[in-house]
Amino acid sequence: MRVRSPLNGRWQQVPAGVRDYAAPEAARHSALAASVRSEFMRWGYAEVRTPPVEYLETIVRGAGAGIQDHLFKIVDTGGELLVLRPEMTVPIARLAATRLLPQTASPLRLSYVADVFRGQNEGRTQLRAFTQAGVELLGEGTLDADAEVIALAATCLRRAGVPDAVVHVGHLGFFDDLLAALPADTQDEIRARLYRKEFAGIEHAIPDPSLAGLLRLLPDLHGDDAVTRATPFATSARSLAALADLETLMARLRDYGLADIVRFDLSIIRDFSYYTGVVFEAYGAGSGYPLAGGGRYDTLLGRFGAECPATGFALGLDRVLSVLPTDGDVSIAVVLVADPSQRSDAIQIATDLRRRGVSVLILGAADDAPITAQRNSYQWVVRMTVDGIVLQDMRTETQRLVDRATLIAVLGTPSGDRVSEWTR
Amino acid sequence: MDPLTLAIPTGRLFADTCALLQRVGWLAAVPTERTLVLPASDGRRVLIAKPADILTYVEQGAADAGIVGKDMLLEQERDVYELVDLGFGSCRGVVALPEAQQERWRQPGTLLRIATKYPRLTARFFERERRPVEIVHLHGSVELAPRVGLADGIVDLVMTGQTLRDNLLAEVAEVFQSSARLVVNRVSLRTKAAVVQPLVEQTKRTATIRAPVTAAPTTRPTAEGDR
Repeated sequence: MRVRSPLNGRWQQVPAGVRDYAAPEAARHSALAASVRSEFMRWGYAEVRTPPVEYLETIVRGAGAGIQDHLFKIVDTGGELLVLRPEMTVPIARLAATRLLPQTASPLRLSYVADVFRGQNEGRTQLRAFTQAGVELLGEGTLDADAEVIALAATCLRRAGVPDAVVHVGHLGFFDDLLAALPADTQDEIRARLYRKEFAGIEHAIPDPSLAGLLRLLPDLHGDDAVTRATPFATSARSLAALADLETLMARLRDYGLADIVRFDLSIIRDFSYYTGVVFEAYGAGSGYPLAGGGRYDTLLGRFGAECPATGFALGLDRVLSVLPTDGDVSIAVVLVADPSQRSDAIQIATDLRRRGVSVLILGAADDAPITAQRNSYQWVVRMTVDGIVLQDMRTETQRLVDRATLIAVLGTPSGDRVSEWTR
Repeated sequence: MDPLTLAIPTGRLFADTCALLQRVGWLAAVPTERTLVLPASDGRRVLIAKPADILTYVEQGAADAGIVGKDMLLEQERDVYELVDLGFGSCRGVVALPEAQQERWRQPGTLLRIATKYPRLTARFFERERRPVEIVHLHGSVELAPRVGLADGIVDLVMTGQTLRDNLLAEVAEVFQSSARLVVNRVSLRTKAAVVQPLVEQTKRTATIRAPVTAAPTTRPTAEGDR
């Protein structure tokens, strides 16, 4: 192979905010997706697929007009405005409200792994196309449903091996109800500042001293005692109920064995406009952005004609991958080296091993097998020689002479320590 | 205790920022602006970066917190928590036209070429004012542009107004007000609360007590998110 260089041209690059995945990154990406998919399945969530393009009208109807500046837009041949989906909750709400819910009386548990697209502001280094994995639980308005979805998100992060994973759980009802007492334009002003996370001086925009005090405290309103610290500010029935809900929810999450990774957090402000109640975000060491987020959105399906309580979450696959350790990716795979005279034996062995789930790469004797094995994280090199079969373990750098039956027995039996956690 | 990394800007805010960090016991002496990273007390770190880069460090979590002018927050609209108005570094962003051409501002339909370091803030301001504008994005010495015919006027920071007068320019409208702010990464705020919160409290106490700045121009709430 010859690569001519250097030639300049736009064709050498991809557009800003999108990227290629080569080996082994692509394999890690799919393995994580597979692990998350199987976890969703174990919790009874059925996978759905929706088209990558939707009408602009659908997305704006679901996510609000503010989303328009952050979309990839396409003009269809008929002049219709289409967009690449910026997330999956709205497309699934559309699908469920128009097709799935009318045919079922019981709650729907849906899941997805899908690429989503955002037109980010220039100068930001965030990806504009990335993969989200998530679930939506439709038709259950209970705290048990909130707990189930949070527990599933936490379990996915834990299984993936995210270092120092924590899930912060808050409730929009607490703050919303206190804001509702203010004049409409003050509310808008405060909400706009909260969305921008602009807390400096925010208390001056509010006449009510108690609420101003709460706003000063809000960015720090997380941790074990957050509900206790918030209680003096909860003056309405709905805000008190929200705090009580959080306590109940936390007790339920303890039942799931998650006491050590969930925390109260009344400062969570989710960016999409459809959230109505319990909200949460997950963080891990090594990422300045949340790894997952979600919550209750009881009014979204109503915008598509089906009044139905709902909750869900989305996990950023690329963000999770970026914080996972890259070592320990060695796969049960074999580089089989054979000169032309042993090619037919080699093919038979390879077929036998592949049937047992082992990856096998056949090389000619001239190729440099150890380098190929290392580059592809293959653990074993097998050489067909005139003296017999030499089995080399790249991890321990040892080799021994084996017969064919032993070879199949050693390589064809999956053993726990050779399989990384998420591929199981 | 988790180590905390604070990004501070070179330039206009540097001296006051260092004085603040000395008052709160982070730094013993004033570093030179050319230092990139320096250790502070209790295993903490201070990064020194260009003012326009501070928010990138903090948004991505390369720094847990930062000190930055409100002008940069308004221009860049990054996803960070703006927690404390530190009180120093007060200045205003204004539209200025040559003294001889002030009457052009009184004709709102006139298309103006405006040179600025703040293209997005400028675009938003002219949109709000319903005035046509053509923006020339420069990275410094903006006041030069009208003198050499590159632009009709400028949008730039003014402190005393001396630079405007020196260049025969005069203010015709205020675009924004600015002062130094403490900003924090949204994850560090939560996962490093034990070290972030003391910094927030200290800087709040140390910040000059002063009247609130009038509300800055409101932008649309962002709909961007993680779902």
